[in-house]
Amino acid sequence: MAKQEESGLKIILVLVLIAGLAAVLLAYVNKVTSGPIAEKKRQETQRAIKVVMANEAVQHPEMPEPVKQVDFPAEYFPVRNQADQPLGYAFKVEAPDGFTSAFEILVGVDTTGKIVDTYVLSHKETPGLGDGMMEEEFKKQFRGRSLDNTNWSVQKDGGDIDAITAATITSRAFTYGAERALRAYETLKEDQ
Amino acid sequence: MSVMEKFKRAFFTENPVTVMLLGLCPTLAVTSSAENGIGMGLATTFVLVMSNLVISIFKNVIPARVRIPSFIVVIATFVTIVDMGLQATLYDLHKTLGLFIPLIVVNCLILGRAEAFASKNTIGQSLLDGVANGLGFTFALFILGGIREILGSGAFLGMPIIPGDWRTILLFVLAPGAFITLGFMLVGMNKISERLEGTKS
Repeated sequence: MAKQEESGLKIILVLVLIAGLAAVLLAYVNKVTSGPIAEKKRQETQRAIKVVMANEAVQHPEMPEPVKQVDFPAEYFPVRNQADQPLGYAFKVEAPDGFTSAFEILVGVDTTGKIVDTYVLSHKETPGLGDGMMEEEFKKQFRGRSLDNTNWSVQKDGGDIDAITAATITSRAFTYGAERALRAYETLKEDQ
Repeated sequence: MSVMEKFKRAFFTENPVTVMLLGLCPTLAVTSSAENGIGMGLATTFVLVMSNLVISIFKNVIPARVRIPSFIVVIATFVTIVDMGLQATLYDLHKTLGLFIPLIVVNCLILGRAEAFASKNTIGQSLLDGVANGLGFTFALFILGGIREILGSGAFLGMPIIPGDWRTILLFVLAPGAFITLGFMLVGMNKISERLEGTKS
């Protein structure tokens, strides 16, 4: 460390130099990693769509389109199977009011308006409690449900969904998230 | 100071977590499993080694009055590199560690080593110091994460080791479990350090 009192000019020069070097280095790393990062994100979306469409999904667009005319944010991927028949849609919706924050789920809806399966895209719920929403035990009760055949709230609130023990808030948020996907589906169908 | 002595200090007698109590925010927040502990520890080690290296190289150029901002820029640069690198390679680990990767910038362990060691010592010594302290930090996070994972989820490194019908102690994967486990770890590590130091109390 230089001990003597430095001039202001030298201080400015050194700081600019350090910041400049940092910027060049970061620009380079960003250039190298941006491709692989985009690829990983794409793979993850693809994996999720496969899950919510019971592994039959073969064709879908890279990017989801927004569902307009609904009062909450929702995006969808139209999905087709191997024989190029429409399978339904994968809806990306936000489950509001999670225990720690809102979380994102993907819900597969078939052409008759029934849920195929669900997938949690990102969440900050409590490990060991709220993250039970990713387990088969909880997920299986959503399959085959539609807006008509289900009372969309947890049993504690008089609905049909069996909440995860000690994670009612997460279960409630998830339930409303899944219902949103079905409402988005209805809106989408009316438009066509 | 010999290499052995350096590592003994970093792991036990002057361990960043259990003795110096540095960088407790990531320590407590991400150690809900052994794997997360290792991930966080190694990410921090990389930043620590690189920033020690760069700062010891430029120690005679950086004006004393602006050394802290300069250190922070260097540290932040390497943290951003780790952030992007992890996302491009270990995407799932990056998802778990998420928010805590950018927070490595404010881990006082790193700034502490830069200020107390790398800015006064040779390049070789600073590199060794970074590796030793980084691994000492990783070691502590691994133990902490391991204990919490075994007690809280009944697994170790993701493999179930406790019979499925036994109840696990959920508290240990939650935030209070981190504090409780760390408390017991401090006691244990102090005992070990005392032994290593000889009989002085």
